[in-house]
Amino acid sequence: MRAYLALVWAVARKDLMVEFRTRERLTAMGAFAVLVGLLFNFSMDTAVVRPQDIAGALIWMTIIFGGLLGMGRTFRLEEEDGALTGILQSPIPLDALYLGKVLGNFVLLSVMTVLVFLVFGLFFDLRFSGSSVTLVAVVALGVLGFVSLTTLFSAMATRSSMGESLLPVLVFPLLVPVVVYGTTATDRLFAGRPVVEVGGNLRMLAAFAIMFTVAGAWLFRFVIEE
Amino acid sequence: MSQKQARWAVGVLGTLGVATMIVLHWMVFFWVPTESRMGLVQRIFYIHPAAWWIAFLGFGIVGLCSAAYLWLGDERLDRAAVTGAEAGMVFTTIGLITGPLWGRVAWGTWWEWEPRLTLALILWFIYLGYFLVRRSTANPEQGKRFGAVIGVIGVLDIPLIHVSVTWLRSLHPEAVILSADSPMNLDPSMGVTFGVGLLAFTLVFASLFLARYTVAGYEHELDLRDGIPAATQGAKA
Amino acid sequence: MSFGLEAVGLVRSFGGLRAVDGVSFQLQRGQLLTVFGPNGAGKTTLLRMLGGVMRPTSGHVRVAGAPADVVSREWRHRVGIVSHQSLLYSQLTIAENLLFYGRLFGLTDLKTRIPERLASMGLSDRERTPVRELSRGLKQRVALARALLHDPEVVLLDEPYTGLDPHASAVLREQLASLKDGRRTVVLVTHNLKQGLELSDLVAVQVQGRFTSVTDSLSLNLAGLEALYHAAVENPA
Repeated sequence: MRAYLALVWAVARKDLMVEFRTRERLTAMGAFAVLVGLLFNFSMDTAVVRPQDIAGALIWMTIIFGGLLGMGRTFRLEEEDGALTGILQSPIPLDALYLGKVLGNFVLLSVMTVLVFLVFGLFFDLRFSGSSVTLVAVVALGVLGFVSLTTLFSAMATRSSMGESLLPVLVFPLLVPVVVYGTTATDRLFAGRPVVEVGGNLRMLAAFAIMFTVAGAWLFRFVIEE
Repeated sequence: MSQKQARWAVGVLGTLGVATMIVLHWMVFFWVPTESRMGLVQRIFYIHPAAWWIAFLGFGIVGLCSAAYLWLGDERLDRAAVTGAEAGMVFTTIGLITGPLWGRVAWGTWWEWEPRLTLALILWFIYLGYFLVRRSTANPEQGKRFGAVIGVIGVLDIPLIHVSVTWLRSLHPEAVILSADSPMNLDPSMGVTFGVGLLAFTLVFASLFLARYTVAGYEHELDLRDGIPAATQGAKA
Repeated sequence: MSFGLEAVGLVRSFGGLRAVDGVSFQLQRGQLLTVFGPNGAGKTTLLRMLGGVMRPTSGHVRVAGAPADVVSREWRHRVGIVSHQSLLYSQLTIAENLLFYGRLFGLTDLKTRIPERLASMGLSDRERTPVRELSRGLKQRVALARALLHDPEVVLLDEPYTGLDPHASAVLREQLASLKDGRRTVVLVTHNLKQGLELSDLVAVQVQGRFTSVTDSLSLNLAGLEALYHAAVENPA
């Protein structure tokens, strides 16, 4: 078990190391977050709409669109010099490879998410007085569910001629539960509602995240092998 | 099932299906009484949900056969999945067209974010993804596998989507929707007609499924003759 | 006494195309097989199957007598692969690349193993150089170091001389010669008739997915090999 986790961590660590050196995906996602905030500002008449009331929608839509930008490139690295061949030739179980990629992506997207909260909080004067722990749990579970699905699909995108342009078409319908439960939970927490009202949402987000991480781990081998 | 048996089965099911359909339409238009609250338009109740039932049955087949195909590698399972997907998508499209038509009359608007309609729209896109992904690879075997992965993910996600959409809707009961669930003055004959509707659609679906599946089998045999090999190795991994 | 490496009826198809169409051979431990062949003959596909990168459509591989089990990935410990691509991460240093792959292969003594391996290949002073700053020749050396890090019994090389200048070529040739230590079984794919012949024990020509012949290279000189090659390419079996 320990050896297995070590393999998962080896993959995640390598991805994060490379990302740290190039900052390619983080820059793209970060710039996206800020610019979308900018555009949202121009697209809302704050005399009519209170951003505080739709904080959930603003934040989650940004996380999903921006996240897809970054997630789509998950396997780009491995393509360049054929590193995927090297990995497939190694004894690493393919589900460990998947989980390592998911872990790396989760960290990256979490960084972007923090940025989104900070930027949107600043741009739209969002006030939050609810339970931070619960908010973190909601966001973490939602992001995990998102990452587990998109990592699997980005492997498909890499292996096929469809490229990343098809990813939204594939992924968006499947993300509806994350959007539904994530945004309503976020909105409720921002509105200062008690934590207990968010319990059901947390459970559903957890179910989604667990189900698709497990399913992804099993299905990944059918996608990554040629 | 041999060719002869298949043709016989398709013929029987098809005839039964068409016959039941005719009976159904007679019942819908002439036999069953008009429901007092909604009037004439309520008659679509016998046809519309039946189409939905097939749409979801289709995806259930896709999901099960996809999982089995990945596990066992038998090409016939993929054929069954794709057949289910084609039929399912056709019925989903029918539902998405007839739904708004009914909605225009019953609700006053073309579109409502009513749980079933919403779910159907999402399902339509999942079907679309299934077909797009199958065609997106240079290697057709890989395309089948990718499609199967979408099938499995889809069938796992659809219940969650359904629950989430229904839950969200319950938070905002906006328009007074005269949906198929709302209290109707049910005459026992309506229940019968509804049942006949389900039966008719199921029979038609079954015969279409079998016919298409058999044709897919012929296509496969032709491919073999052209030198394209049969089942991939067992995918147990 | 089991063979070092054995291929039994290997077939790999992509849709309608049979890239590898029934290849079988047996190598004693310590032997080196060179495979020649025109582009598109399926040599890379063959090597990828031998290394476990790709699954055969049918047939199987045996490494040191044990079957290359489809389910368990353990046997891959015994195989190392060098491609004409470097298989490295260009943004990471040599040491970081080796560290990553060492971990993938479950090696625990990397702190000593990596410096030793680098020293044996003259790369010690460049340990911290990012791979993208290396010349093609140096990259290939690192690629070989990566392949040998886990001390595999079987080494597969796919056109390793590609893009190397004469000096780098000579260095590589020396490295390959040192592989012939009686322990390691090697399969080398190359276009370079001279270099391919001089290190080999056995020689095969692959055309359209099949081996036309497997010849003992003791009895073969360069002219003979050329004749064999051209005959095979012009008249595929």
